[in-house]
Amino acid sequence: MRSRLNGKRRLLLAFAVAIIPLTILPAAMARTEAPAVTLKLWIMNNGPEPVKDTERIVAPFERSTGIDVDVELVGWDVQYQRITNAAISGESPDVTQAGTTQVPYFAALRGFENLQSRVGQIGGKAAYAPGVWSTTQVVGRSGTWSVPWFTEARTIYYRKDVLRRAGVNPKTAFKSWAAFTRTLQRIRRVKSINGKPIAPFGQPGRVAWDLVHHIMPFVWGAGGRELSANNKQSTIASPQAVTGVKYFADLIPKGVFLKSSLERNAPQVEEQFKGGRIAVWIGGPWVLATAKRTDDEAWDATARRNVGVAQMPVGPTGKFYTFVGGSNLMLFRYSKHKNEAWQLIRYLSRNDTQLDYARLMGMFPARLAPQKATGKANANQAAFYQAITHGRSYAPIPQWGPVENVYKARFANILEQAAGKGSKPYTRANVASELRAAAREANKLLAQGG
Amino acid sequence: MSESVVTEGLPVPASSRRTRLLRSWRRNRFAYALIAPAVVFMVLVHLIPTAAGIYVAFLDLNLFTFALLFHAPRVGLQNFQDLLFDAENPIRSGFTGAVENTIFYTVVTVGVTLVLGIAIAQLLNRNFPGQRLARTLMLAPWVVPSFVVAVLWQFMWQSDSGIINKVLVDYTHILDDKPVWLLGENTMWAIIIPTIWRGLPFVVLIFLAGLQTIPKELYEAAAIDGAGAWRRFRHITLPLMKPLIAIQLLFGVIWSVYQFAVPYVMFGVNPPPDADLLMTLIVRQSFTNQLFGYGAAISVMLMLVMFAWVVVWYRIFRRDLVTA
Repeated sequence: MRSRLNGKRRLLLAFAVAIIPLTILPAAMARTEAPAVTLKLWIMNNGPEPVKDTERIVAPFERSTGIDVDVELVGWDVQYQRITNAAISGESPDVTQAGTTQVPYFAALRGFENLQSRVGQIGGKAAYAPGVWSTTQVVGRSGTWSVPWFTEARTIYYRKDVLRRAGVNPKTAFKSWAAFTRTLQRIRRVKSINGKPIAPFGQPGRVAWDLVHHIMPFVWGAGGRELSANNKQSTIASPQAVTGVKYFADLIPKGVFLKSSLERNAPQVEEQFKGGRIAVWIGGPWVLATAKRTDDEAWDATARRNVGVAQMPVGPTGKFYTFVGGSNLMLFRYSKHKNEAWQLIRYLSRNDTQLDYARLMGMFPARLAPQKATGKANANQAAFYQAITHGRSYAPIPQWGPVENVYKARFANILEQAAGKGSKPYTRANVASELRAAAREANKLLAQGG
Repeated sequence: MSESVVTEGLPVPASSRRTRLLRSWRRNRFAYALIAPAVVFMVLVHLIPTAAGIYVAFLDLNLFTFALLFHAPRVGLQNFQDLLFDAENPIRSGFTGAVENTIFYTVVTVGVTLVLGIAIAQLLNRNFPGQRLARTLMLAPWVVPSFVVAVLWQFMWQSDSGIINKVLVDYTHILDDKPVWLLGENTMWAIIIPTIWRGLPFVVLIFLAGLQTIPKELYEAAAIDGAGAWRRFRHITLPLMKPLIAIQLLFGVIWSVYQFAVPYVMFGVNPPPDADLLMTLIVRQSFTNQLFGYGAAISVMLMLVMFAWVVVWYRIFRRDLVTA
């Protein structure tokens, strides 16, 4: 018995001798080795291969700093909700891309760092055009809540071969609203290219997240505004705004607007242009870059060779406008690696990185110097650069996201009325009625701010 | 006299009741321990969030007060009043439209699913070559997730290139012109039909199982007595299937009223006026417009309506469930 007890004690002792070092050792190792930092970066669909392209761009940063960057794609259709949830819950990545018009709303959720003390390191306000820098600010709240990453402007894409066939001079085709309509009417006579039917014009309808960006340039061109100068009241029902919205919607009953494009979302209509199904379309600079990419198989060969870009048409005010947007980078305040995350934002703000990313994505850099350099690359890029300098964006107020959504729903109703699918007939009075309803809803949302 | 006659109708002493409870607890301790995790889960995941949601309905919780959460200003019944009675409130027009749409959607979806379900179950209840294959294929739509159903049908509904119009117009010439399903009043059918397509297999399966429990002798006897197919269905099949029909009706209505995935995936956060249901309205008001108080108020009203529906349903079908 005594020897069995001794044997058990010996076994226990041997077990303890074996186990205890195994528990201490990892902790000791952890104390001697610096933990590797992995930053989580959320990006949206910035091109045909957004994750791969972004990983390429950040690879030098990873090599030089030893910081890993885990890039996650969050689609534009869900990013609003996901970023909102992350900002409120604290379950967030370190850095996220956000649309320029969304920054004030996200900042109001109080889930993001104020970067005011850091932006001097990247040149601050002076390194950006005033319109671009304004997207980092929030009305009524001091601070800098994001850093501009890339800029884009909407402009007219057209098929050079189709305009040639229609006998239209591209230099004057889209000069004014009247010229724009005439051009589309002449294209309608073309009917097909290489045996493929082609419609004059198409834009997505209510499922497009950027529907408002396509219509607001016409509102501005007519002298209208989305909100009053003090951003407290909606002015979307003004006579000028009605004129602008109606001009766009009138293209449908005129027979120059492919009605079935209203059933589709933005990427699907973009594919219709690339696929040679529509001759004229309003889009952003990223599409131009994809024409050169062999991995983008959506392009019809003839369409790929014949892409042209033109300014938005001049409206009754004698000026042309376009929506200027893009994306900014925001740093979550819940990030456990704020300094490293800022290092990443600094890297992505370098002039050379901006140029590289812009070339890859087909976007425009956000910073002044690389923006100018990109604008000089060729005639199409020059057109986009011109658009950026003439561009407008929306009021940097937190309520803009919900207000934009209200406008989107009413614009969609108007387009569907124009297509003969609305609940009311398409008349100027009914357009005005929809916009008045939009204004009432928007005012309710604007009143939230007090 | 027996003890049971003496004690009948007399109040039970408290100590005796306590003893019985204690005895019952001791006897069922193990069972309570097994269901405890589920109860805790239900409380954490259902009851507490439900209570929180009800409380939010009485708050002015919006984009600017969200950081305060449950400490946001209390507004009593204001949210409910605005939704139901304030004609000036722009949110109200979306609410009444969504209510009408949801009622129509529910009546049609549930009605068609039940009628088709029992008809198809009757067909599959016969012996014919390929019966097993037919039953298996019948189940296919049910395993497709709602998100995929909505995306699939969105492509199928496209007026120029969708397969539905190709079949209706190009291949079979049933129609002369291609209808537009994703715009205008047809958008209601654009969400009803995929819902029926997905929900039908489950209903067919349940009804088929029910039909197979009905003794064949009843039909034989009825046939001998001269009852035709319709009378056999009306007087044998329907009464014996009533409990199953009742259950499918209950859940069908609840699922339809709470339908969200199909209209949301197909049309986004702003479905067309004809396809906007209560759930898409709630999500839009709460998470896009950041009017959480309104969204919660609509949810509370919907919940009360569903309670009322369950009470009505139980009153109608109580006897059928008991005799089943």
